Amino acid sequence: MLSKVLEPDSIAVIGASLNREKWGYRILDNIISGGYLREVYPVNPNEDEVLGMRCYSSVLDLPHRVDLGIIAVPAGSVPMVLEECGRIGVRGVVIVSAGFGEVGNTELEDRVRDIARGYEMRMIGPNTFGFINTQLHLNASIIPQMPETGGISFVTQSGTFGLALVDWAASQRMGLHLVVGLGNKVDVDDSDILEHLSADRHTKTIMMYIEGIERGRRFIDVASGIRKPVIALKTGRSQAGSKAALSHTGSLAGTDRIYDGAFKQAGVIRARVIEELFDSALALSISPPAGDGIGIVSNGGGAAILAADLCEDLGLHLPDLSEGTIRMLSGVLPAIATPANPLDTAGDGSYEMFKAVMDIMLSDPGINSLLVIYVHAEMVDPCLPAEAVIDASEGCDKPVITSWIGGTGIGTAVKLLEKNRIPNYPLPERAVVALNNLVRYKRILQKR
Amino acid sequence: MNILTEYESKKLLAEYGVPVTREAVARSKEDALLLASEIGFPVAMKISSPDIAHKNAAGGVLLDVGAQDVGAAFETIVANAKKHAPDARIDGVLVQEMVPRGTEVVIGITFDSQFGHAVMFGLGGVFVEVLDDVSFRIVPLTEQDALEMTEEIRGHLILAGCNVGAIVDTILKVSEMAAKENILELDINPLIACEMGVVAVDARVIFKG
Repeated sequence: MLSKVLEPDSIAVIGASLNREKWGYRILDNIISGGYLREVYPVNPNEDEVLGMRCYSSVLDLPHRVDLGIIAVPAGSVPMVLEECGRIGVRGVVIVSAGFGEVGNTELEDRVRDIARGYEMRMIGPNTFGFINTQLHLNASIIPQMPETGGISFVTQSGTFGLALVDWAASQRMGLHLVVGLGNKVDVDDSDILEHLSADRHTKTIMMYIEGIERGRRFIDVASGIRKPVIALKTGRSQAGSKAALSHTGSLAGTDRIYDGAFKQAGVIRARVIEELFDSALALSISPPAGDGIGIVSNGGGAAILAADLCEDLGLHLPDLSEGTIRMLSGVLPAIATPANPLDTAGDGSYEMFKAVMDIMLSDPGINSLLVIYVHAEMVDPCLPAEAVIDASEGCDKPVITSWIGGTGIGTAVKLLEKNRIPNYPLPERAVVALNNLVRYKRILQKR
Repeated sequence: MNILTEYESKKLLAEYGVPVTREAVARSKEDALLLASEIGFPVAMKISSPDIAHKNAAGGVLLDVGAQDVGAAFETIVANAKKHAPDARIDGVLVQEMVPRGTEVVIGITFDSQFGHAVMFGLGGVFVEVLDDVSFRIVPLTEQDALEMTEEIRGHLILAGCNVGAIVDTILKVSEMAAKENILELDINPLIACEMGVVAVDARVIFKG
């Protein structure tokens, strides 16, 4: 049961420290300053008090059994501490301590695994930054800031990089629910977390940073049963196929191609770069899946054509407009504008123009998703076309995604779009990539 | 590690229902002529040795051999092979039906330490590694997986005139074989596909252990 680990009612921080440089200090400090309202017990035999709280010399002295033990002691002391956790019936542990398999110390890692198994404790790590549960206001990690609450859960195998990414995501005000650093995955691995997130009602979209999957077939079986979008970045693409291969198949295989196939079977959307991972997770978490058949609307012809080119590169289809759509558009567009897809309003960025052309485009049976690009010009209030997007997409089952292009002048409009859960991107290429993944997700759903 | 000859590899494939060329191993010139007459001229003749992987490079392949040339072809192939690999064990010469032209594709198996057996499909022939146009799926595959593999290669339009259903069937049979046999690697290259169906023209099975 991972829920006792990731949604604990009580926590012991083992290795809680007064030293601000130590992880045992930072984690306890993050738990308290994050606003976690349930029970927390610092444990350290060398301290009486940490951060104004009574410090216990061992988990064996705690007044109550705890759900979760967070272990931040030197690697050599982990087995002893883990034994003690097992003896008092701790449900699960997160081992933050490093110095195990990642530095070749597999013997210690095996011992730790055996102890945890012996007591039937679930274990995250070792060598992890911890985890965050924004619903519980629980920052049981060394990540310096608590992200905003949202529907995306992020699972990362990378420690330092993952940590920086979460910090960055938080600064971008990305809404997250769970953030889990898997570390060395000695017990809990990607598939275990996926099973948990699949059932977790707060998680709407699953975002993964993967370096390697050990039990591949299980991953496919678990992921293919998940009824939520899963998007993953898998690094290590450049690895060549096995040099010792005896066949063409063996030499063409290469790890990356195997993952490509496996992700397809698992119904996992594969992102190539971090930007795609985050941008698409955002779109997947707030937008319905998109059917191919893309309409593009902009007040700037250049941006519209660029977006159309990018759609073609990704294999997205821009259908011709129906006769009825063309007729209706001719009635509202300025005389110099051509009613076609992509649609250029010839500079008109008014509420009325955006609302009218969006309504018409969205009613075209061939258009299944709409990309609206606003190119900022000083004379226009960028909130007005943003309001048109919000009004036109209200109650419409076709996804609408936007790209508001401009500098500081568009800040308020961007916030307005965000607040109304319209996926918005500062550049059209990012919007197109995100839209492509909404289309890929729809195909995955259709396959199931 | 145990490498099967082409003849043995195709016998195994045939057990799983993969269509293979009609063929037999000749131990002598006389034997070759007899077998070729049964198969029908012209025939393909290939060195049969567990130790020679690249038969062409060893000068061990002659195509479109007519009745009057079978004996000489047998001797040339064996001599070339002995020159190329003096220590190679030689079973004889494989006498095989010539297959009509078609599209050369490749179907293979590899073993991945994390995912287990994976099946590959792609454009085949001697340029398989240069074209590098292949797709993988993890065993066991569904029919949909196999169909997607034929659709997602860059050169999928080349398959337009082929019996894609027969390719999909073969991919599934290979998937079944991978799961049941202790296979480390397999190449069917080429599998010739045409409107009528498919036939494995060359194959190589490598067992684990």
